[in-house]
Amino acid sequence: MKSFLEALALVLVAACCSVVAYFAHPKAPSFSMDAFSISLEAAQEAEGVLWVDARTDEDFERGRLEGAILLNEERWEELLTGFLDVWSPDSPTIVYCSSQSCLRSHEVAERLREELGIETIYSLEGGWESLIEAGLAEEAAQ
Amino acid sequence: MRIIAWTLYVVLGGVFVWAGIAKLLDPSAFLSSILTYEIFPRFMAVAAALFVPYLELCVGFSLATGALRRGGRWLAIGMTLVFTTLLIQAAARGLDADCGCFGSQSYASEAGYTWPIARDILMLAGLAVAVAIEKRKK
Repeated sequence: MKSFLEALALVLVAACCSVVAYFAHPKAPSFSMDAFSISLEAAQEAEGVLWVDARTDEDFERGRLEGAILLNEERWEELLTGFLDVWSPDSPTIVYCSSQSCLRSHEVAERLREELGIETIYSLEGGWESLIEAGLAEEAAQ
Repeated sequence: MRIIAWTLYVVLGGVFVWAGIAKLLDPSAFLSSILTYEIFPRFMAVAAALFVPYLELCVGFSLATGALRRGGRWLAIGMTLVFTTLLIQAAARGLDADCGCFGSQSYASEAGYTWPIARDILMLAGLAVAVAIEKRKK
């Protein structure tokens, strides 16, 4: 019984800390997927899309969606200029990362929204995996 | 024998504290790791990304300092069993999961599952030895 009560006390302390972290931690994740996610079907219907690849340089070299430009957080300053050269406020921008579970596309989209005030920017649901599955992109042989 | 149990608790507690700090520095990166296991819905993964690092810290301090250690060691065993099960299922399904164990971003395809699973089993063995020594003492 004592072990159980001690374990419960530790769990309660951790739970309290995590609630505080949810509201106060600058990198706390959100419970809801951001409202700016877009499905592949919807993305294909959009016109004049600027595709942004938020994966690593190595992944980008291995394979990318045709016309996509690289913009990741590792080389943000360096790659942002290239993005701004091709970005147009009239066209939607869709960011993808490796899969449904990755957060890179959300982070890049969020950063572009915050730093440049771009509203028409979305994160692709399913990411690179969904593009491969749909036959829209191919990975280069290793 | 008592010194062996204490040493084991301090080392294992240190590992838990280290793992907790690494995760709580960037809960979003830890969330990303949890999602690569493809087993939890998002709301559960977010809750775990916020809760697990602090639980690891509490358990780590409990083991290392001796405060509330009886509860801490059972939580430590439970958490390590859960982590091991998650790694084994990811390996069995051939997932390219990110362990996330120490806030790293190394994918299974790069690092493999063998070491993380072996490390968890070693930790379980360490905890079992420490508990056994304590029980024998009584």
